[in-house]
Amino acid sequence: QPILLRCPQRSQPLYTDFSRLSSTSAEEEPAESSPVEEKVYLSASCVQRLEEIMDKGEYLRIQVEGGGCSGFQYKFIVDSTRNEDDRVFEQGGVGIIVDQDSLEFVKGSTLDYTQELIRSSFQMLKNPQADHGCSCGTSFSVKLGVSA
Amino acid sequence: VSKRKILATRAALTLTPSAVNRIRSLLEDKPEYLGLKVGVRTRGCNGMTYTLDFTKQKDQADEEVLQDGVRVFIEKKAQLTLLGTEMDFVESKLSSEFVFNNPNIKGTCGCGESFNM
Repeated sequence: QPILLRCPQRSQPLYTDFSRLSSTSAEEEPAESSPVEEKVYLSASCVQRLEEIMDKGEYLRIQVEGGGCSGFQYKFIVDSTRNEDDRVFEQGGVGIIVDQDSLEFVKGSTLDYTQELIRSSFQMLKNPQADHGCSCGTSFSVKLGVSA
Repeated sequence: VSKRKILATRAALTLTPSAVNRIRSLLEDKPEYLGLKVGVRTRGCNGMTYTLDFTKQKDQADEEVLQDGVRVFIEKKAQLTLLGTEMDFVESKLSSEFVFNNPNIKGTCGCGESFNM
């Protein structure tokens, strides 16, 4: 019968697929556990834009909030006050503020000022904590294992 | 036959003054381009997203919108989607972007970039 014949045929590739899967996941694990520096990097275009828009004593504050279609979202605010738990990252004469709670979610990523025809805006790039994000880049989900 | 409604013909896309100014300044130093082309693409978390490009010529199927001296072309695929939409340009310290106020859509993504109908 055709059904009886198909069953053993299908089981063979299934086994090979499974072994391939388990070997790749074992390779990826050590890369994920490498320590991330508690820092936010600024790209050249970001530094240039901040120079243009910020007055003296003003900083760009990055906050992470619950919300957006992927669970968390970035929020950018112009702020001139610094709180106790804030970290300041300065580069090329301009600075950004990230509070300690938000830093846990954004450490190791790069702040960029992306300029396109349809929109120019600040974006967080290469966030090691983010699993996959929304297409616009404001919302992201957190990889398993990152403590909140 | 008498039930036929007569509707006023409107432009498929209207531009706000700030959008006109922005498009004009974008095209100022680029005389080789005729205008901008608006399209839609399947992308993003909510189905579709807008695209915007410079264009050198009008394709046969494109809808041409000429307002206050600037030209915007609408791709064939996007014409039904964009019908009656207002194109605005919103600028702030932290971002500047073209915003499409589209009466045809059902919902948008949190950031407003992606939408569904």
